[in-house]
Amino acid sequence: MTQSVWIHYSRPRPHWYLLDEAQKLTLTEAWQAVRDKASAGGAQYNGRFHIRGQHDFQEVEIWKFASTTEAFEHWQALCAARYNEFFAFSNNIGLETGT
Amino acid sequence: MTSLTGDTDVFSTASFGASPKASVMFVATRQDDLPGIYGEAHRRAILAVLDELAAEGWTLSLRRVFDPEAPNAPRALATGFTHSHDIAGVFEAPDLESALAGTVRLEKAGWARAFRTEWLMGVKEFAPVMGKGALTDHGWSFLALWEWNDQWCEATPAERTEYDFECDIAFKGDLALGVNIAGRHRLDWSHGWHHLGAWEIDGPDTADAAIRGHEEVADFKFTTSRHIVGRLEPLAELIAPRHA
Repeated sequence: MTQSVWIHYSRPRPHWYLLDEAQKLTLTEAWQAVRDKASAGGAQYNGRFHIRGQHDFQEVEIWKFASTTEAFEHWQALCAARYNEFFAFSNNIGLETGT
Repeated sequence: MTSLTGDTDVFSTASFGASPKASVMFVATRQDDLPGIYGEAHRRAILAVLDELAAEGWTLSLRRVFDPEAPNAPRALATGFTHSHDIAGVFEAPDLESALAGTVRLEKAGWARAFRTEWLMGVKEFAPVMGKGALTDHGWSFLALWEWNDQWCEATPAERTEYDFECDIAFKGDLALGVNIAGRHRLDWSHGWHHLGAWEIDGPDTADAAIRGHEEVADFKFTTSRHIVGRLEPLAELIAPRHA
């Protein structure tokens, strides 16, 4: 199975700023649990970077998954935890070239 | 179960069995402006890869999505007459792994020489829906890409369900116009667009009439969209080299 890179661009949607701190914490903890589960399952997390100074989005996360389907399942788990409702996003998938 | 929204009168969650579960959309612009970039050997290599993909279970013609007896000869939309890109199309693939790998195989065979391409990988969410006069070859296709906007994301689940059923009124109007709808393809995991709707239509006027119906039910209050219309032609002809 060829390794896949999954690149996730994000920025908070306007109504994210209307939540109180407790609501934000509940959601961010749920999303972190999804990320932790992906890492525990073998996904490689390569960090989150701030890009708003030179991009339409605010941050980018870079992951490697053992398969394309695993990347999809990670995103699906985030959506099930309502991540896509509070953050605008653009995702990208790529196959390792081996070169 | 990976659908982001529930079933409606028109749309039902697809149950696949052995049929393809992934999709590959492309929007491509010719770049073989000079002799030597892309030639007949590359075209033959691309067609050979397409033959391999068909043998591996890919669906290369939208017609075949609605009629399993239809030939699997690859077809795509000729879009240059009204878009900045030259061709667009949708294939279906057995799974996400083969979908992504298939795009690389096509690019390496020569596609990358002929076209600048935006590839979009999808997961099939809903089953195909047949309109009136379903089994005639419509000859044209309409592709709708959309993303749910901030207002949709802020809405309550009840408001979203109400919206889905308002949109269903428009989708029923589409079916009455003879449109066939190839379900719904989920793109959000690998692209900025969230969904693709791929239709068979009998011409651009039908797309316009259908979209007026969607405007009437305020479909676009919750979405940003990009619409592509084109005549369906054999891909083998659409990828013919410009230079001998």
